[in-house]
Amino acid sequence: MLFNIQTKQRAGRWLRKITIMIELKNIKSHFPIFQHHPDLVYLDNAATTQKPKSVIDAISNFYEKENANIHRGIYPLAVTASQKYEAVRGKVAQFLNAKNSEEIIYTSGTTASINLVAHSFLSPRLESGDEVIISAMEHHANLIPWQMACKDAGAHLRIIPMNELGELDLKEFENMLSSKVKMVAITHISNSLGTINPIGEITELVHQKNIPILVDGAQSVAHYPIDLQALDIDFFTFSGHKLFGPTGIGVLYGKKQYLNEMEPYQFGGDMIKNVTFEASVFADVPQRFEAGTTNIAGVIGLGAAIDFVNELDRNEVMSFLKKNEKNLIDKLLKINGLSIVGQAKCKSAIVSFSMGNIHPHDIATFLGAENIAIRAGHHCTQPVMDFFKVPATTRVSFSIYNQAEEVDFFVEKLKEIKQFFG
Amino acid sequence: MNERLKGLYKTIILEHNKEPFFFKKNEEATYVLKAYNQICGDRFELYFEVKNGVIEDLTFHGFGCAISKASTSVLVKNLKGKDFVKALLSCRQFLSVTNDEEANGENLGEELEAFSAAKEFPGRLKCATLAWDEMIKFLEEKK
Repeated sequence: MLFNIQTKQRAGRWLRKITIMIELKNIKSHFPIFQHHPDLVYLDNAATTQKPKSVIDAISNFYEKENANIHRGIYPLAVTASQKYEAVRGKVAQFLNAKNSEEIIYTSGTTASINLVAHSFLSPRLESGDEVIISAMEHHANLIPWQMACKDAGAHLRIIPMNELGELDLKEFENMLSSKVKMVAITHISNSLGTINPIGEITELVHQKNIPILVDGAQSVAHYPIDLQALDIDFFTFSGHKLFGPTGIGVLYGKKQYLNEMEPYQFGGDMIKNVTFEASVFADVPQRFEAGTTNIAGVIGLGAAIDFVNELDRNEVMSFLKKNEKNLIDKLLKINGLSIVGQAKCKSAIVSFSMGNIHPHDIATFLGAENIAIRAGHHCTQPVMDFFKVPATTRVSFSIYNQAEEVDFFVEKLKEIKQFFG
Repeated sequence: MNERLKGLYKTIILEHNKEPFFFKKNEEATYVLKAYNQICGDRFELYFEVKNGVIEDLTFHGFGCAISKASTSVLVKNLKGKDFVKALLSCRQFLSVTNDEEANGENLGEELEAFSAAKEFPGRLKCATLAWDEMIKFLEEKK
């Protein structure tokens, strides 16, 4: 038996090796946007990634040749559409190493996923005086749903503090984990600081007190391998559009035992077993959380995006991103008056900074005129901006198609802007 | 560096951004008006002292980009000393230049005209009009 497993694993690795077909040096050719905008330097990947041709083709192919509603018709087109829709569920489960595909729920994105957990999982079990813990670096999407649930129940939202480098204080966090805590929700990677939180360690601490944890994987899923079973996370959320997939499709992963306890968030077609005017019996997980006609083409596009990512060598991706990030930081630190916001030891390829008194929107406008796309603003993390006492930052976020010369070009233009504003 | 963009950030805007007019809080103000752009986080407060229907003192404070800061500074400089009706007319005149594609704003004077270039950059138009939009709402209510 053991021999069989090892052989299988070896064969799997070998198979994987020969199926890695996409090399990073040619990666731009897979993204049509760069053919339409050859000079585009796209450094706003934390907002959304560009889409490979395979994803665009999968969506248009579905609408052109395979369009039908799912789970309803019994004609061949509907059967195929349903099969493809469900096959992606299995693909997502495998991609995240979830135990089974029934733990994968399609949503419109991370925001909807978190709202679903806050509303259907947390709210019914939250009482006055209870506590919910989030961190000081959360995106508004992983803050407001919990804030509202606490407000409704008379519970308290508590915040894990961070230091001036943008790292969470885990000692303090451990002290906060009392019997009053009913939920912990934390981001894997901060969208405004780039900090990679030690979610394995955090989950272990939380589970020692039998508290469920949600991890917001919006910023991590594209570039970092996730093993949900090894990490033992209870809920995990991500959006397709940050994973080279389409907008309007996302995922909520939840452990089956928790999903089974949750009431539906929305009611309607396709989420029931039986309906009379007096009462309704809801479908099992996951269908009970997918009321109405869902984003079928989005699911097909998400499947193609996962196929695309599976063809990349993720270790190569991670070291490639690290190289770009380090190169940028080294160059930025040489600019007088520029300060990096968020300098955690463990950091992803997201770099936020302030440059003297020059407002990030002015920087973004000048960079935009040079075809450089970056993000300027509070990045939906106003409490983070308050902590660092800045109204906004300029943010560069890398992905697989950014080349070293783009970093040089960006820094050169940044220096010109600095000179212009004097 | 992009020439069209340099045109938007004329010396006037850069100077007002660096040394804005009447940039201070006023705890004694008759009215405090908030100009807040939720999309980008620019946030200014305008402090009025009004006597007999005339804006006797007008200052502002807060943070924002060069264009919104300069534009608010020019507004303050422009409206101080005017009664509500004249102030309202000035605001309408300014916004007619920034909102009307054909208008070049020559008759407004150099300082106000500088902002008409924001039309070329739709993403930044709100920065030029932020304080003026709020002011016009306030004056229409009070006049």
